[in-house]
Amino acid sequence: MPNPTYILRYFPLVGLSEACRLLLTAANVEWTEEHPEWPQEKPNQPHGRLPVLVEKNPDGSPDFTITESCNIERYLARVYGFVPADPKQAARQEQICELMADVFSYLSGYIRASSDESKQMFLGKFEALLETLIEVQTKLIEGNGNNGRQFGDSLSYADMVAYGFYKKLMIAMARFDANVPKFV
Amino acid sequence: MTIAAETSFVLRYFNVIGRAEGCRMLLTAANANWTEENPEWPAAKEKQPFGRLPVLVEKSGNGDEWIICETGTIERYLARTFGFLPADLKGAAEQEQMSDQHADLTEAFLNMARATRDKEKLVEEFDALLGRMIGEHQKILSRNTCKNHLFGDSLTYGDIAFYTFYKLFIVYMPVYQNDIAGIVKAKMSPEIVALLASIEQEPLLAPHISKCESLAAQLTA
Repeated sequence: MPNPTYILRYFPLVGLSEACRLLLTAANVEWTEEHPEWPQEKPNQPHGRLPVLVEKNPDGSPDFTITESCNIERYLARVYGFVPADPKQAARQEQICELMADVFSYLSGYIRASSDESKQMFLGKFEALLETLIEVQTKLIEGNGNNGRQFGDSLSYADMVAYGFYKKLMIAMARFDANVPKFV
Repeated sequence: MTIAAETSFVLRYFNVIGRAEGCRMLLTAANANWTEENPEWPAAKEKQPFGRLPVLVEKSGNGDEWIICETGTIERYLARTFGFLPADLKGAAEQEQMSDQHADLTEAFLNMARATRDKEKLVEEFDALLGRMIGEHQKILSRNTCKNHLFGDSLTYGDIAFYTFYKLFIVYMPVYQNDIAGIVKAKMSPEIVALLASIEQEPLLAPHISKCESLAAQLTA
């Protein structure tokens, strides 16, 4: 039975979808990207937002549509084996991915804040949590034998999420001197 | 998935609803052997894996500890371990997507409640997000044959995430913005109120629910 094919709906930006693109590519499945007219297509999306993943099955069953970037990433990672099925091992990868999402939330908060005090508050939180992330990730890579991977020997869900995270961080914060971990 | 009888859990968080209510309800529904620790803060910050709470400590019978953090990760781990998320990846993704949307909404609410400028725009955006969220709950419920649950016919992670969402906004978030409970209640349908009452009656949740104020009572008052 051939694999399903996928449509990833997003804007033509790195944004929240880079890890999804990496996962679809690494899964070696047929996929295309759609850039819907926005905001005209907003009401047609499950949560009125992007990204959205549409899975089309060759057996003729109805399309399966999901949303929320982290949810899409976890789904693809699980289906295509980039995260172990064992809940404990999966949780270890998910927690670092969730931490990265939290760091990016603070950055988004900073970018969107309109008052100086809000901006200062978000920037402080962003910097502190980014430092924690880098410390945790560095220990993880070193503990994994310094092989350029966070977990095991091969490309994992967490590695792809990390790449997407740092890519969007660099683009969003061109002026910010981030202490980039060794494996990027 | 079964877990060894001698396994016990410690949930570390602050003594508030906050981010831990879903974890508390999952541990309760699982009939797990668990306790809660409310660490001294910020004294205990450095001892946590990511310097934050919640943290889950799983202790095996021989005293080995396995520690995990981040709210969503803890919830999904407990839900999978104790069978409150289906093994079917599509079914799991549908429940998780709803929970992720709750987290987005919570973040949007806190940003709005704390904003000192351009508040009207944030209020408008939050209102639209909230309306869409509740509309989504209604759609999920309408699609489900059993009206006492959001997914399938028994208690799931989705039910717990749904209950926790409304409890958070009606019972806890007024501390950030005192009219939020009223705003949320005004958008809720009778079916949603009935479903919350039904979840609150779930025997599996009784040990935790009995220690809290009834959400259902607050909604029908």
